[in-house]
Amino acid sequence: MINAKKLVDLAIRLGASDAEVYASAGKVITVETEHGELGHAEESISEGAGIRVIVGGAEGYSSSNDPGKYEDAVKAAIVCAKARPKDPALKGLPPQPTKYPGVTGIFDQRVADVGLDQCVDIAASMIRAAKEDKGASVTAAKFSSIVSDTVIANSNGINVEDRETVVLGYVDVIIKENGNVSTAFDYDVARSMTLDLDAVGRRASKLARDSMNSSAVKEQVCDVLLGPYAFSDLLESTLLSSISSENVQKGRSGLAGKIGQQIATPGLSILDDGLLAGGLGTSKSDDEGVPSRTTTIVKDGTLASFLYDSYTAGKENRESTGNAVRPSYSAPPKVGARNVRFEYPRSDVLKETKGGIYVNSVIGAHTANPISGDFSVECRNAFVVENGAMAKPIKSLMLSGNVFDLLKKIDGMGKDDRAVGVVISPTVRVKEMRVTPGA
Amino acid sequence: MHDFYDVREMHGYTTAVVYDNGEIDEISTHFVSGAAARAIVGGSYGFTTADDPSKAKEAIETAVRLAKRLDKINPRKKISLAPIPKRAKDVYKIKKNPADVSMSKKQDLLRSIEDAMRERDTKGLLKSTRLNYSEAYSHTVHYTSDNSRIEYDTYRTGFSCSAVAGEGGSLQVGRRSYFNVGGYEIFDQCNPIELAHEAVDEAYALLNAKPAPSGKFDVICDPELAGVFIHEAVGHASEADTVLDGDSCLEGRIGEKIGSELVTVHDDPTMLKYGYYPYDSEGVPSQSTTLIEKGVMKAYLNSRETAAKLGGRPGNARAGGLARPVVRMSNTFIDNGEMTKDEVFEGVNGIYLKGSRGGQVNTGEGVFQFNAVNGYLIKNGKLGDCIRDVSLSGNTLRTLNNIVRVANDLDFHSGRCGKAGQGVPVGDGSPHILIKDAVVGGSS
Repeated sequence: MINAKKLVDLAIRLGASDAEVYASAGKVITVETEHGELGHAEESISEGAGIRVIVGGAEGYSSSNDPGKYEDAVKAAIVCAKARPKDPALKGLPPQPTKYPGVTGIFDQRVADVGLDQCVDIAASMIRAAKEDKGASVTAAKFSSIVSDTVIANSNGINVEDRETVVLGYVDVIIKENGNVSTAFDYDVARSMTLDLDAVGRRASKLARDSMNSSAVKEQVCDVLLGPYAFSDLLESTLLSSISSENVQKGRSGLAGKIGQQIATPGLSILDDGLLAGGLGTSKSDDEGVPSRTTTIVKDGTLASFLYDSYTAGKENRESTGNAVRPSYSAPPKVGARNVRFEYPRSDVLKETKGGIYVNSVIGAHTANPISGDFSVECRNAFVVENGAMAKPIKSLMLSGNVFDLLKKIDGMGKDDRAVGVVISPTVRVKEMRVTPGA
Repeated sequence: MHDFYDVREMHGYTTAVVYDNGEIDEISTHFVSGAAARAIVGGSYGFTTADDPSKAKEAIETAVRLAKRLDKINPRKKISLAPIPKRAKDVYKIKKNPADVSMSKKQDLLRSIEDAMRERDTKGLLKSTRLNYSEAYSHTVHYTSDNSRIEYDTYRTGFSCSAVAGEGGSLQVGRRSYFNVGGYEIFDQCNPIELAHEAVDEAYALLNAKPAPSGKFDVICDPELAGVFIHEAVGHASEADTVLDGDSCLEGRIGEKIGSELVTVHDDPTMLKYGYYPYDSEGVPSQSTTLIEKGVMKAYLNSRETAAKLGGRPGNARAGGLARPVVRMSNTFIDNGEMTKDEVFEGVNGIYLKGSRGGQVNTGEGVFQFNAVNGYLIKNGKLGDCIRDVSLSGNTLRTLNNIVRVANDLDFHSGRCGKAGQGVPVGDGSPHILIKDAVVGGSS
């Protein structure tokens, strides 16, 4: 691992008033199918560093994955900062905190120790499980194990390190019988080796099987059960973008000015939890070294807070909520959610539903209008729900509406929480949604 | 016989300048280098990347070790590769190196685009603006254990601008961009000021737009949306790896009539559009492929492996950065028809859909869904009310058959295409087309 403190010192010597180095090093092992069978093995070790400097009250950024170029990157960051005028809103980099919270469940030595042979066994077993249905073919499957170290150091004395592991398995299946075609996918991702990927394989082929011989339904307004994939996807591109203080400050959020107003169904709380045990977004600090915490975004249906990093918090003279997030060392931090979870009375929502439609996942959620919240998506693996059970599969269905409207129409949440991206979502029942037959 | 391997070594940098509401939000330069090594042993691929290109030798050893091990514990039918065809290649040379243009000149350009957006805001509805400039350079060396070796430079440059306008609690965004393969000369190929105006006009139009109706309509797609359709719905299903995975609705269709006679589709990486490349990521010199000719499926897009399996020509294996090569498109387009744009609109009662906010496709079932930026109701060929939040969905083959008019105004748009977790630059193109009985989704 690189000496981050040394690069910070170099930046200061070269004229920066503030400097920060975010470096990460990781090892990934991936086994993947080639045309339905395992045929690809990858093992790579990579590292890189991102350098953020402040010169004359303006910020500059540079990165490199070549240790031989780290010093060039420091110089390039300074050149970038010098090209900008002073930013009056910039209050400097985060201060050194008195302490960092303890977090659990983000590192598993068994993942760090895993080798190619074990990865092949796990993936092969998942594929076999998917093929227990003799009609099912696997079109794609993948298993990855990742171990990564991160260090963040800045000129205010922050020097924080974290070690994390992630494993994920993914499978895509197709069933073709008598001119009928049906597809389904499933995946699971976790911090530890506890994943049951055989179950993932079985679920995918069962979903494809259950979706065979589908028929169209008529246009209607009805109760819709959104599975974890569907609900998370719809929220990710709309609600999550709207609760970013950056988007609020820049006039790009449909929730601007709505703090204290009711935006969701009473009884529903939405939290961003950087401390969640075993969460995929959990770590001691955010990506600029601010201690992680839990932030209540919506409390009992009322909008309580947006998410902040140190820059956007500085603009409003408040504290960062620990939501500086980077996709990798090559990007400067931006406001982003860590682990979004819901508090709402849980029940067996499917069983309680007399009539309606269940939607496993949607395609096109990223095409939703992030500001207005309007969306129109195609449903995948949708079913007619009758008397508390999935009665029959639906052929091509469009679901349209508005996410902010949808939040007010939630009237049930299941007990089946799944981590999908940054959202931990159960199956969610929404009243009175419009569905139209697709192609 | 020795084990097969190939290596890509890359060195490069990217520079980005981002303006937000008229102020610089980000200026950054990133250096990227590394080597990706791939080996084949029996029926297995081994793959690894190294950040330091001088460690390519170790990377080859790792790739061979991985392939050997996987082949031993999970043996599969032997992989063979189609040979790399020998073809002379002129690699595009940039006219103006962006690195020679000063940072202040680039900032001046962005400020002029910002000013143009402000000037266009005649009603004072503009809430925020965002501008993005980027230049990317990479030097690639590709060599194989069969002693083939090539080396070339690629530059990509461009800008995007977006305008958010608000009125009465409603916020809408308009966007324009121009990206192309090449250096700073790409700014001579477009009119940034006009594009800035169009972004504001689009946000304004969306503010006044009405929710769209749902149902079946005769739909005219503009070149951008039709280009996205041909890329997403037809192009992806034509990728031979997807065909071999059993996940394509076009499997076994070569030689069959799959669409209207008006439809001819090419994938051409030699065109100087955003999806241009002189060589693919397996070192194969690029060439144009006709996917569909007058409605008849002619060919799939191939890598060296799929070409050997299916009898096609290699040249479409591409990789995002140092990732592994997979079968990808380049510049994919519906070729010009014989009608003028006006003739396509003549007498149509339906919906005109413009632009794309992206979309997705299920290649196996052959269904797609795209969201247009906006649209217009059409009555007897004349544009009526503007509509927004409208999507087009359908069955790929049925839609290809339902294309009943094709204009002669082929135009390209630049984008990034995601597959296998990798993004690569692509160009999508089409003239205006009329699709009868298309499924439109709206919220009214």
